[in-house]
Amino acid sequence: MGWFRGRVLAVEGLEMEVKPGEVFGLLGPNGSGKSTAMKMILGLLRPTSGQAEVCGYRAGTMAARRQIGFLPENPYFPNFLSGAELIRYYGKLSGMGGASLERKIRELLDLVRLGGEAGHRRLRTYSKGMLQRAGLAGALVGDPEILMLDEPTAGVDPAGSREIRDLILELKQRGKTVLFSSHLLEQVEDVADRVIILHRGQKLREGRLDELLTRRNEWEIKVVGLLENDRKEMRAWIEKRGARVVGEGAPRERLEDYFLRSLPEEENR
Amino acid sequence: MRGCLRRIFAVAQNTFLEAVRQKVFAVLLVFAPVLLGGASYFAEFSFQEQFKFLKDLSYAAISLTGLLVGLLGAAQLIPGEIERRTILTALCRPLRRWEFIAGKFFGLAGLLAGMVGIMGLTVWGLLGWKGLQLVGGEGADSAAIWAEAMDPRLIQAGLLIGVKLVVVAAIAVFFSTVATSTTFVIAMTLMVYLIGHLQSVAREQWLETGEAAHGVVRLFLAAVSFLVPDFNLYNLIDEIVAGNMVAWQSTLEVVGYSVVYVLILLTASSVVFEGRDI
Repeated sequence: MGWFRGRVLAVEGLEMEVKPGEVFGLLGPNGSGKSTAMKMILGLLRPTSGQAEVCGYRAGTMAARRQIGFLPENPYFPNFLSGAELIRYYGKLSGMGGASLERKIRELLDLVRLGGEAGHRRLRTYSKGMLQRAGLAGALVGDPEILMLDEPTAGVDPAGSREIRDLILELKQRGKTVLFSSHLLEQVEDVADRVIILHRGQKLREGRLDELLTRRNEWEIKVVGLLENDRKEMRAWIEKRGARVVGEGAPRERLEDYFLRSLPEEENR
Repeated sequence: MRGCLRRIFAVAQNTFLEAVRQKVFAVLLVFAPVLLGGASYFAEFSFQEQFKFLKDLSYAAISLTGLLVGLLGAAQLIPGEIERRTILTALCRPLRRWEFIAGKFFGLAGLLAGMVGIMGLTVWGLLGWKGLQLVGGEGADSAAIWAEAMDPRLIQAGLLIGVKLVVVAAIAVFFSTVATSTTFVIAMTLMVYLIGHLQSVAREQWLETGEAAHGVVRLFLAAVSFLVPDFNLYNLIDEIVAGNMVAWQSTLEVVGYSVVYVLILLTASSVVFEGRDI
């Protein structure tokens, strides 16, 4: 966009609705329009046509932005601040102040496990995972109804990624609505209730994860203690009834779970 | 209204804190030795000439230091935030864009005021030290020396330098809302700064040429006369340093002129920034 630069159609004909209290995943490869869609909801970008509403308010208005906490993709927070100062700054911008803000800062630092000395260190000394958690605390400071997280686990190691996943689930438990984008599909699968798949700015698919991913014509049973003879008998019994065994074997653990289980206890926290 | 002021103050405080933590004030560590060096020269001249030289040097050093800090600081204000993406986490809050611009500007203005204040006090201290040296000399006229050293008109000069720097910073803030690169902001601001010193010439030309000049030339001269602040007005500083009397009313008129220009520039910056995609 702009002088001497070609216009780019980032998002086209996107229709979607996020319901209160759900975790909604925006999926798509790089350049599919996830961040642009989020920026339009925040009023940071203006659509050439169409509109968005946040809790009944026009997107981008002060009232709409009061409802949203946002964590951008790869954010570079003011690194001259400490974690606590970052939350204080964002709290003041959200209209908070005084003792209630200080109480909120302590509460949020504890929530994202940056309490104690860590919260008073400069952000430039933080690891990527700590930065994301500090950013998440900053997004939560005005007590918004909706959290928008743009690639919250990008560049974060598996342990940090798991922490952010757990935080999203905890926020869901607290009744928050979470809209997040990611191209790390395993993580989305762990937390999202519904997803939308974007490609080159257009919607390809939308729906509840269990509806989209469940293969209705197959059935899976996990069994412990079945011997080889019993398995043969079971296969014969299945084929006798006109069904077909399409796969069997000992299940494998997910690499992420194995990796995290292998780490010492303190690393895993 | 209270919420609005609180948000502007939060942005201003953060801008000031960033400059302090990035050790911008360390520039002053260069400033003081330069003046001390200057104060040790020209001992063979009369005390009036020595004081004039020292004041000249001091105010040139304050202006240059302030100009560099103001220009580089203001040029970074918006493009820097966009480049680091820190602007996203600020503007997604219930914060109006003009509040963000105002906060950024006031933070920088506070920094410039602090720097000019500290440098002014350093100069005053230095003049006092020079006064003590000269009073100790043979046949020295202590009353005349102290009148030169502790001249209250220097406050007027400090105030004028401060407002001049704030106007330059406001020009840079305006360009920083349009541009994506700090180089562009610095180049444009310096250009306006230079044109501003020729503004009175352009105005006279515009008034005198009448219909004789080509339409484009007349348009250019008119644009310079109306849009660019007249930086020659701040030449009152030279008058003060030369030891001439300058009425407080003239000083306050220049301050008022500067405030009006700053308000116009901030309004224009806010209008431009309001329509910008981040």
